[in-house]
Amino acid sequence: MSEPILVLRSVVAGYGAGDILKGVDLEVQPATVTCLIGPNGAGKSTVLKCVSGLLRPRQGSVTYRGDVIDPLSTRKRLSRGIVHVPQDRSLFPAMTVWDNLLMGGYAMKDQKEVRRRVEQAADTFPICRQRAHDHAGSLSGGEQKQVELARTLVLDPGLVLLDEPSIGLDPKSRTQVFASIRGLAEQGITVLLVEQNARSGLAASDIGAVLETGIVRLVDSGASLLTNPEVARLYLGGHATPAAATAATSAPGR
Amino acid sequence: MHALIQGIILGILTAGVYALMASGQTLIFGIMKVVNLAQGAMVILGAYLAFQLFTSFGIDPFLAIPITTVALFVVGVLVQLLFLRPLRSDDRSELSLLVTFAVALLLEGIMSVIWSTSDRSINTHYANSSWTVFGYQITLVRLWAFLLSLFALGLLYLLLNRTRFGRAIRASVQNPESATLLGVQSERVSAIGFGLGAATAAAAGSVYGLLYPFNSGSHYDLISRLLSIVILGGLGSVGGAVIGALVISVSSAIVASAISPIWSEMTFFIVLLLVLLVRPRGLFGTAARGAI
Repeated sequence: MSEPILVLRSVVAGYGAGDILKGVDLEVQPATVTCLIGPNGAGKSTVLKCVSGLLRPRQGSVTYRGDVIDPLSTRKRLSRGIVHVPQDRSLFPAMTVWDNLLMGGYAMKDQKEVRRRVEQAADTFPICRQRAHDHAGSLSGGEQKQVELARTLVLDPGLVLLDEPSIGLDPKSRTQVFASIRGLAEQGITVLLVEQNARSGLAASDIGAVLETGIVRLVDSGASLLTNPEVARLYLGGHATPAAATAATSAPGR
Repeated sequence: MHALIQGIILGILTAGVYALMASGQTLIFGIMKVVNLAQGAMVILGAYLAFQLFTSFGIDPFLAIPITTVALFVVGVLVQLLFLRPLRSDDRSELSLLVTFAVALLLEGIMSVIWSTSDRSINTHYANSSWTVFGYQITLVRLWAFLLSLFALGLLYLLLNRTRFGRAIRASVQNPESATLLGVQSERVSAIGFGLGAATAAAAGSVYGLLYPFNSGSHYDLISRLLSIVILGGLGSVGGAVIGALVISVSSAIVASAISPIWSEMTFFIVLLLVLLVRPRGLFGTAARGAI
């Protein structure tokens, strides 16, 4: 196994007086999809915020490509290639799709390069060209997710953090989104995603991690977690058979 | 009928100036969710600066606008850095009412000390010139003021819609967290946005000083009108502010010519109440929310 691109060591973090993360340890391998699952309030989104810099850990460290990044601002982490797509619709609804893509390269100085990358991203996600002049808010939920993923490409990211990418999507759109996420990994981009829809998330992932009450309880391959009876009982609606895993893998939208 | 059409012409010309003042107000609200009660005082400060440049150096108020806008831009940035930035973001909207009212009182006090509380007016050689078109009188100052306002609003539009910084402003208005995650420095955008809002007040102030006599306390009347316009148009929408200014100024002018100038002062608020009864978010409060 190669050197992990992202390492969290004993990360403690929270809001106000309470700790949400109580010592998270996690390693993410490059060019893979890693899915964090767990109950509501376990701290899944908080992990992503600690990586992108929206929240500073109280203890522990976050290391990216061998460097401890805790002291870095969100902007600096962005310039190193860490892109965070938050849970709620993260587009700018009253801006055109094309302007949304251009905002993806806001942190870059070379605007000519930004425009070149926007063209490239639009080649990968054709919806961006088809709806280029429409307000992003007028797109369906699935289309908006495609634009969000396209926007992450503009920065040529090394690590993409996706918070509940399938939330609110119909099954067909969900399938498309997870296929696009697999596509990112195939391009060499590392993806760390948080997903309530554990079955779909794990099916689309190389690695799965179970987070409970602020601690990572279990890490295994996505396929193995799908067949784990305990995981199935708690997060997959009680069905964990190899057949279920196979079905989920072949149809991540289910 | 002649008086009515004359009133409508007057209302349209006046609306341009109010639209300019209100665009700054609504821009600041859009970016920071701050209701800037000092916007009226900034307009009056702009008028005083234009007055001083005219009386001391003979600089025409229209030509003074580049100077006054830069000066008020700096004042706006300082107000944001010194008084608004320290507020906790959770309480910023509520506390900003008190803070910006305090800034208005501070500016009023400074203006009273420097220029006294007597009425001032900027009397250029063309102050009373007018054209007669098809029997309707168009005051030259009002026409220039209207055109200047359109020009300034056009610049603002281009800034917001055709520049990288404008995209950052609009992004911050529509989704602040997402904008931060894409590298937008929201505090910097807020400071420059507040400066821009103050700069529009300066441009409008130079024109206001040409149209009306003013003193350091004139901002009370002005801020109530500006708030009526931005609430009518929909808080946070620059396009809404322009429409709101047109609706209120024209209806006010019509009432002044058709009924009585005394009632015209009330028209601002009556129109506002009637519109809010039907559309509680203002004319563009839903459709254009966040669209500035």
